Amino acid sequence: MTPERFEHLADAYGADLRRWPAAEQVAARALLASRNARALAAVAQAGHLDALLDSHRVAAADPAFARRIAASAPSASFWRSHWNWWSRLGWVGVGVAGIAAGMLVASLSLPLGSGAEALPSIFDQNDADIVFTLNAEDSEQ
Amino acid sequence: MKEPDPDIELLARIGKNEPAAVNEMVSRKLPRLLALASRLLGDADEARDVAQESFVRIWKQAARWRPGQARFDTWLHRVALNLCYDRLRRRQERPLDDTALHDLADPALAPEQQLEAHDTRARMDAALAALPQRQREAIVLQYYQELSNIEAAALMEISVEALESLLSRARRNLRDYLAEPPGAAGLGRGKT
Repeated sequence: MTPERFEHLADAYGADLRRWPAAEQVAARALLASRNARALAAVAQAGHLDALLDSHRVAAADPAFARRIAASAPSASFWRSHWNWWSRLGWVGVGVAGIAAGMLVASLSLPLGSGAEALPSIFDQNDADIVFTLNAEDSEQ
Repeated sequence: MKEPDPDIELLARIGKNEPAAVNEMVSRKLPRLLALASRLLGDADEARDVAQESFVRIWKQAARWRPGQARFDTWLHRVALNLCYDRLRRRQERPLDDTALHDLADPALAPEQQLEAHDTRARMDAALAALPQRQREAIVLQYYQELSNIEAAALMEISVEALESLLSRARRNLRDYLAEPPGAAGLGRGKT
């Protein structure tokens, strides 16, 4: 690799040779290993800008936003997309309404055991499973 | 395609409606999508919209995804880029406003660190925002999203040589912009 080619690539891809085209990396490392002055200067200049680029951070993914996106995934959309089909089956609607009414009557006729904690939370599993506090930059590095 | 696509197995699990796979996909791709859209659009709210719309496409595509010519991550970048292009066309590159800059603050930093980092970050925000659109795309895809030169060029529908030219001009413009005293910079847009 010529020093000119090295300078051209450093000018485009920066100082980290891992970001360079794979086919050029071995020759570039060899030129650097030879302590070529132009190659070393090109790396130093590119490295300075790389450091500034690395200082640019973007907001981490908000956990609540991540949960909303996960909630929009197939299982939820499946029931939404099939809702009209189910609705056309009148007997299903009547059956569900009947069951729901029965459950309501039964629940109203019984005292609640231990307050709010007796009610299962549909959010517990999501909160436990989803690690949505990843910093955006962490995932990029 | 020489290397196996790292997302294929996850897509198959999503196709089978596995909740854990859905969560893993969100953890894996949401930060990347937000980073891409935030840097291209300079607006945190719009970046979230782009991420959300991209995930709608992911969910639709997951069950029927077949390993082929493009990696899933490259396809996803194509989707998000198109959504960003739509927004950029609509607003004709309006500059970053203060609200957008505040929204991009990193909550992981302590208040004093945020204050210290603010100047540098604000300068970088402004420098990136001042780049011509194609130069900004090139630097975001190649540097921040860490796509290969071939992937980035394909996404931008240009040759690798044209990508390298855009990258060189982008980095030169950034250096010029950042070398100037704060308030004096206004470079980039004219230097295509």
